[in-house]
Amino acid sequence: MVVYSFYIFDRHTECIYSKTWLPTSSDPSSGSGPATATATTTTTNHNHYNPATALRPSTADDAKLIFGAVFSLRNMVRKLGGDDDAFVSYRTAHYKLHYYETASSLRLVMLTDTATLSMRNVLHQIYINLWVEYVVKNPLSPVEHKGGVGVRNELFELGLDQFIRGLI
Amino acid sequence: MASSKASRLGEDRRTRMDKVNAELVVLTYGTIVAQLCKDFDSDYVEVNKQLDKMGYNIGMRLIEDYLAKSNTVRRCSSFRETAEMIAKVGFKIFLNITPAITNWTSDGKQFSLVFDENPFADFVELPDDGRAQDELWYSNIMCGVLRGALEMVQMQVEAHFVSDVLRGNDTTEMRISLIRYIDDELPPEDD
Amino acid sequence: MSYYFAIIGTQDNPLFEYEFGTSKQGGDGQARFSEQARHLNQFVLHSSLDIVEEVQWTNGQLYLKVIDKFFNNYISCFMTGGNVKFLLLHQPTATAAGATRNSTSVGANPTSPQTEEAIKNFFNEVYENYIKAIMSPFHKVNMEIRSPVFRQRVAAAGRKYL
Repeated sequence: MVVYSFYIFDRHTECIYSKTWLPTSSDPSSGSGPATATATTTTTNHNHYNPATALRPSTADDAKLIFGAVFSLRNMVRKLGGDDDAFVSYRTAHYKLHYYETASSLRLVMLTDTATLSMRNVLHQIYINLWVEYVVKNPLSPVEHKGGVGVRNELFELGLDQFIRGLI
Repeated sequence: MASSKASRLGEDRRTRMDKVNAELVVLTYGTIVAQLCKDFDSDYVEVNKQLDKMGYNIGMRLIEDYLAKSNTVRRCSSFRETAEMIAKVGFKIFLNITPAITNWTSDGKQFSLVFDENPFADFVELPDDGRAQDELWYSNIMCGVLRGALEMVQMQVEAHFVSDVLRGNDTTEMRISLIRYIDDELPPEDD
Repeated sequence: MSYYFAIIGTQDNPLFEYEFGTSKQGGDGQARFSEQARHLNQFVLHSSLDIVEEVQWTNGQLYLKVIDKFFNNYISCFMTGGNVKFLLLHQPTATAAGATRNSTSVGANPTSPQTEEAIKNFFNEVYENYIKAIMSPFHKVNMEIRSPVFRQRVAAAGRKYL
């Protein structure tokens, strides 16, 4: 199992945290961003495709694209399946995107390789054990994390890194 | 049935929480209120406002703890269910009390929480300056907590106390009104 | 039997005072101090504070029993851990005192074990209520206790034990 990247969006749709686990490279040969991938593709042609390099233009743009995609998908899922329905993940030829939304409209997104099983529980654990414990309960971090203020503290970063590495 | 389920959930979660000495809470909260009264020169209207503001900031954080601890996975389907969860799970896990839910309006948008015990108010006697009894809502922080917490789960509410045993009323009652459900925020348009 | 009860703060400042009479043996709970004695009581009580300082370290108890006597006025003392003194001045009715010197009834004989025990119970109950009163967040150290609830409770304790 490989985890490529992880994003947190707050209720104001802002990306307040992102992290990638693969070394960045300046290879510009990438093709499609995640927003253009088709949600139900099941083809399995792994031609040395690395989403981390595909997501190069700039992390800020990636985050915007990802949010747009998951937000639209979530709304579509709710329209079709009712308000209680939740969008869990989608998969492309090259990666799988996992999505978890809390009742307080915090959205956690994780990109992994296609073989990974549901990460819903993992995202839930990140929320209750890392986000709530180290970010929300940190009295020095603000309530709203505009621009990611207060999220990137050492405990959270370290906890997240260890937790993800523990999965692999 | 749903309500007894909520009670069980509240009881169950409470037993797993870390506990803190009740008197520590009473004294800490009491000191805050007393200090506010001193800082604002016994302007109790302003003290109420400050308590509400502090509660609001607490509520915005507390809701995350509540969601994590109660393992809530879906939203309440109605405001009535929200009221049940507030009284039987929220108050139970954080204060170990279960206020009674009464006085619903027919449109289901307003209800009262009646507290038969209030852990903040043990030992408390309001100052006898002739005004505190009429102006100070001692436990006003709770209104703010509810307002902040519900705002985070997309409900804009208004909460205020209508009576308090500390003032000599028979009951302690808080009135909560749903103003509106807040829509999802949309991402800003790209230029 | 008449009683004058006072709480003295750490600066030897009075925090609370209350006068009452016995409710035992058909007493009506009213103090029977003469107008002059009522003023004198305060002096008698405060003058015993010196004795309190002398005896407070002699035993580890909070209840110091009768520590001082001024003519027919007996002073019992109870010290809280925070160095606040509860002082109770008790004055047996002059005639009754002579007639029933050996009586064991509470009040008639101020130094009998029964009386000591009754006063101890009274102090303990007042102490409990005193703690509740000073736990109120609006109460400050060495501030006069004005709570009507506390006054009622002291009165109730007086009726119950004395």
